[in-house]
Amino acid sequence: MAIIRGCNLPEDLYYYPEKHLWLKPLGGNFFRIGLTPIAGKLAGGKLNAVTIRAKNIGQEVQQGKSLATLESSKYVGPVPAPITGIVKSGNDRLAADPNLVISDPYGEGWVAEIEATKWDLEKVTLLTGPEGLAEYEKKLEAAGISCG
Amino acid sequence: MADDKILIIMTSGPDTPRRCATPFFFATLATAMDYDVTMFFTIDGTLLLKKGLADTVFPKEGGKSVGEFLREAIDSGVKMTACTASLELHGLSPEDLIPEVKMVGGASMWQMAEESKTVLTF
Repeated sequence: MAIIRGCNLPEDLYYYPEKHLWLKPLGGNFFRIGLTPIAGKLAGGKLNAVTIRAKNIGQEVQQGKSLATLESSKYVGPVPAPITGIVKSGNDRLAADPNLVISDPYGEGWVAEIEATKWDLEKVTLLTGPEGLAEYEKKLEAAGISCG
Repeated sequence: MADDKILIIMTSGPDTPRRCATPFFFATLATAMDYDVTMFFTIDGTLLLKKGLADTVFPKEGGKSVGEFLREAIDSGVKMTACTASLELHGLSPEDLIPEVKMVGGASMWQMAEESKTVLTF
């Protein structure tokens, strides 16, 4: 576990810093995707809805295109796909309790699972490990973001 | 393939503040879902595009102004169009509106409606 600017960012995950998403390798080309505590904080700390686009399930979504949406009283915006891949499933529990994304971001609050189709090309766009987290820290510092 | 188009027709204005936040929120949300979203303002809706006016309209006391909802929609990529005839109704000229607005005639609204998968009216 690493704490960067007050934010819990485990070193063994990959990060898509543009929208503060994490990816966890599940074996093969499969990845679980979720939001870091930074995304939760930027969305206002309390969510009204996290909705996975139903029509995406079973379809290939390009990196950066909308995978799901976040709604709070302070924010509305997309959860883009951090890598290109076929969306295998969304976390059904978020419909009843969207705030699992905030309370358990790396556990029960995951958002979607995806089968990567361009992993070798796109993994360089993600940050991981101590070096990746150091770069992430610089980005957070430049943007004046912390989780404190 | 082009993303699906959505048209939101806005007729509500500053006289009904509670009707003025949700249309912008839904528009922003639709862009977050990768829809291609256009808002068309007519009747009293056009007044919300008058420079500075939306900042004085509050759907909820102590909450966000309509101007903030409008700005979020523009920043997310929602295209803003307004009916030329509605300017006349309110004695306004195009220069009175925020610069992001494109003035269009009524026939353009029909064309946009025909090209859109979904049309919502507020």
